Amino acid sequence: MNISVSHITTYNYDAPVSYSHNIATLKPRTFEGQKVLDYSIDISSKTNEFSERIDFFGNYITRFSITDAHNKLKVTTKSIIDRDYSRVRERFFSKPCKSVTLESALKMLQVISPDIIDAKQFILDSTLIKNNNEAMHAYAMESFKLNRSVFEATHELMARIFKDFKFVPGFTNISTPLSKVMKEKKGVCQDFAQIAIACLRSIGLPARYMSGYIETLPPPGKEKLVGTDASHAWFAVYIPSFGWVDFDPTNNQIPENQHIVLGWGRDYYDVPPLKGVVYGTGGSKLNVAVDIRSI
Amino acid sequence: MNLDKNPLFKNYFKNISYDEMFTPSKEVKSSWLSLYEKLNALGSDVLTNRQKELDWLLLENGVTYNIYDDPKGLNRPWNLNSIPFIIHNNEWKHIEKGIKQRVKLYNLILKDIYGARKLIKNGLIPQEVIYAHKGFLRQCDKINYTFDKLLLVFAAEISRGPDGRMWVVNNRVEAPSGIGYALENRTNLSKVHSEIFNEMNVKRLTDFLYKFNDLLINVAPNKNENPNIVILTPGSHNETYFEHAFLASYFGYPLVLGNDLIVRDGFLWMKSLKGLKKIDVVYRRVDDAYVDPLELQEDSHLGVAGLLDVVRKKNVTIINPIGAAVVENPGLIPFLPAISKYLLDEELILPQIASWWCGQEKEKDYVLKNIKKLVIKKIDKSNRESIHFGMYLSDDEIKEVKNEINKRPYKYVAQEHISFSTTPTFSNGKFEPRKMVCRTFAIACSEEGYTVMPGGLVRVASKPGNVRVSNQRGGINKDLWITNDDKPVLENLYPFKQQKSNVITSGLDDLPSLTAENLFWAGRNLGRTLSVARHMRVVLNQFNSHQSENKRPDSQKIITLLKSLTHLTNTFPGFVEDDEDGNSALDNPITELHALVLDANRYGSLTNTIQLFSNSYFSIRNLWSADMWRVFYDIKSIWEKLTDQDVITNNLIVKSLDKLITRLIAFMGLIEESIKVDQGLLLYFIGLRMEQNLLTIAKVRAIVVPKYNDYTEHELLIQLLNSHESLNIYIQTYRSNINRENVLELLLMDVKYPRSLAFMLKRLWKDVSRLPHSNIEELHNYEKCVINAIELLNAQKITDLVKIKPNSYVREDLDTMLENISELLFETSQSITNRYFNHTLKQEQLASQNFTTN
Repeated sequence: MNISVSHITTYNYDAPVSYSHNIATLKPRTFEGQKVLDYSIDISSKTNEFSERIDFFGNYITRFSITDAHNKLKVTTKSIIDRDYSRVRERFFSKPCKSVTLESALKMLQVISPDIIDAKQFILDSTLIKNNNEAMHAYAMESFKLNRSVFEATHELMARIFKDFKFVPGFTNISTPLSKVMKEKKGVCQDFAQIAIACLRSIGLPARYMSGYIETLPPPGKEKLVGTDASHAWFAVYIPSFGWVDFDPTNNQIPENQHIVLGWGRDYYDVPPLKGVVYGTGGSKLNVAVDIRSI
Repeated sequence: MNLDKNPLFKNYFKNISYDEMFTPSKEVKSSWLSLYEKLNALGSDVLTNRQKELDWLLLENGVTYNIYDDPKGLNRPWNLNSIPFIIHNNEWKHIEKGIKQRVKLYNLILKDIYGARKLIKNGLIPQEVIYAHKGFLRQCDKINYTFDKLLLVFAAEISRGPDGRMWVVNNRVEAPSGIGYALENRTNLSKVHSEIFNEMNVKRLTDFLYKFNDLLINVAPNKNENPNIVILTPGSHNETYFEHAFLASYFGYPLVLGNDLIVRDGFLWMKSLKGLKKIDVVYRRVDDAYVDPLELQEDSHLGVAGLLDVVRKKNVTIINPIGAAVVENPGLIPFLPAISKYLLDEELILPQIASWWCGQEKEKDYVLKNIKKLVIKKIDKSNRESIHFGMYLSDDEIKEVKNEINKRPYKYVAQEHISFSTTPTFSNGKFEPRKMVCRTFAIACSEEGYTVMPGGLVRVASKPGNVRVSNQRGGINKDLWITNDDKPVLENLYPFKQQKSNVITSGLDDLPSLTAENLFWAGRNLGRTLSVARHMRVVLNQFNSHQSENKRPDSQKIITLLKSLTHLTNTFPGFVEDDEDGNSALDNPITELHALVLDANRYGSLTNTIQLFSNSYFSIRNLWSADMWRVFYDIKSIWEKLTDQDVITNNLIVKSLDKLITRLIAFMGLIEESIKVDQGLLLYFIGLRMEQNLLTIAKVRAIVVPKYNDYTEHELLIQLLNSHESLNIYIQTYRSNINRENVLELLLMDVKYPRSLAFMLKRLWKDVSRLPHSNIEELHNYEKCVINAIELLNAQKITDLVKIKPNSYVREDLDTMLENISELLFETSQSITNRYFNHTLKQEQLASQNFTTN
């Protein structure tokens, strides 16, 4: 299924910015089940030092500077993506995936092999997810038992987060500690993803943060409105001998073709869509508009 | 020799395990014999005197270090013991080989970690040792560098273990400090013990520093033979700021802060007075995570946004490369022998302490069981506070540490508690054995791979029984002497080959704008200190001869002088107006006078002004000469002595002011001959003259503008001349009674008198027109302001200015003219600040990025 994504990020500055350095993680990755057919980025001002590279996690990083004074930064990306995740998703429900118990998973993680070594770094603390909350561990243990399937337990964990946590935009921001989210049980998609990741890491399982988009489907019979889609985040757990499996706790579903992946990392900090340092004096206002269409 | 009877070594052998100077049977070891005999011959009194001389030298040269989180910890004097630590060249050759092997090994490990990561993939290093270390910066993965070695500067700390061999205790790679201190130690100690130093054939350090300079030049991108090199410091509050400034002035490279630098067009630039200057090499003393707020620590103001990408583009070289801290990692120690086998096919030459990494189940269990015998360290925190000595922990603390280890076992390493050797340290007239650790240094060197400094920074415990050795805890330093049986070949005393010298500090255009700003403010604050001190002295003298009680003065002269002090120091309401509660300082004049002199928290007080002057002075300490340090130290101690007194009298203040003023004048003289105009003396002069003009105007306005009876005015004019140090000149020039018109003519209009406003404005004009952007097509605002001020003054005649309207009590025309000139000067200052020191555009993060929906 081909999907077109348009993502517009706008910063309006209170005072002119004389110079800015920026980094964007806005180019979607290609992997099994997702192929980027076309991609373009447009920046409102003339750029300087424009370059692209691949980061430690394999994500595309775009680096650019704006050298002329500007009041506004508008970054527009347009991509055409062939998303065909159904077969990958089907495999999640197969025996090789579902049969791995927590006990066998933890044992397999002790083996030294390139895949395991690579996955194991996702058990460790990361910038925004510090594994030091007893509450998180206790919450996870309600679903995880040594002889239970990791897939099933994770599935249940996702469902519990969906049920127990309230979606409240504006309650949290990127610097809100996870312990507060856990306590108040409120937040947005990246909080839920990071709660799940913290839970999984607390029991010794590798978990990573997925950054991307989700296509919202209009109510039956209604036409879709522009701009109702959004940046989105979910998580994936590593099941030894099988691989990475995605879960979306915000929507209580295993991602299929409405989810588009931009990139992944240990947490939000590794894959912020757009960040930068500006030389200026005032504040700024942010506006994000995402539009996703099947074509 | 009978050591037990030698008073120098009284009680030395109590509680001693093994010592550097003595064998267990109290025989002096052969390598120390010569030093032992020489010290004995000198005796306790001479040694005490030499220690004092050494302390004095260090104080005078301003050798300091700072302690974080301690308000009194800034600029602490450096504590260097007069007894060196000695290693004979025969032993040193072996140590040198061992250090070279270590640095080679760590270099290869570092390259692998940011490259193929074979060591992890092949199971030689557990992944957590790297991935859980906060120094592993994923942003630095797979960067290609312009030179083949990654590790360019390396420090290894060594101590002598129970087996008599030197052990490697730990290593420093992020931004190792100590090379400058070691050099400073050597310079001062060899002065104090010059004859011993010469007779003991000590290896010299010069050649190493010469190679260090070569390194800075050779690593430049594109093999540029004349690279622009800067030393990046976190600022004057950093614990080793002295060393940053010292190395900057030793090598002659600009000392810069993050805000002095900027990334544009894929290159790194320094903001200088003239404009941007491309930088090729950064010797940085800022920690890894703080060097680039764009990609690394976002709230850092110590670095430069975008720097890492300039490194990726191979347009700048950072020493050491960003990310190096990952091998400052005790978690590697247990695996080092195997890594050495794997990478070099060599056994480790220097032994290391037995270490257990808790990320392994068996090792963790051992550590938890034997914790009381062990020293616990975090793999990525080398500060003393995160090192736990099991034997000193209470049961509760042990529980806590065990708990931490269980939570994140891979973050911890435990090491055997080793009792290292002691070395004789001179203290209170005799020798005491102190635990020692020696920091040695190696740098990359094109011909030989690495070269090791034939010396180092030795630190000993602050008390005889202490185990911990650290400057942060008030440790004592020693010089390391590598001694030889034969005379060493004397090297060039002056270190640098000219063909590779570098031109960056040679012109005013290249002056970093923060340095320029600090010089400007050093000038302004020094000018203010001197003018205020002089005026205060006059007011206090007059006050003393008039009254001694703390009550409202009845003399108009005294009241006017007191008020002039408020004007001069800008400490309103002061003597000029009543405060919010309707009280007047005039009712308690002594209280207010003392506050104006002593109150450090009162903006405008003399103590406060001296503090401001010291601050701007410290921020550019790399420019000052040794004599200046001596005088500066004098100024500070005169003032500290006064402010430390319990009972302070007016007379005491006046005496201190006398001393202060003499030293300030000496200091100003020294500045003029110690710094070149190109190095920024011009900025200092501009600041100085601007401030002196402003204060002359403030004085004249406060004293001459109001009209009083003839007697009072006459008296006030004399005091004005006194405050301006112009009474003698007046008498010689006019040979007449004090007369208002003549006084004003002399102080304001006389173009031949260097202290007059007219003369100083002319000098100011000359100076500002030499600034890099002056005299280009159109006049700058600051140039216009100075010209306008000169024209305003020229347009007036004193005889007109002093005229007074009937029924008026002020000389309005004089007042208006002076006010206008004063405002023009303020505008000049503002305009120069905007043009040359504009740092208002600081780097800020884009608004925090919240997901907006879903």
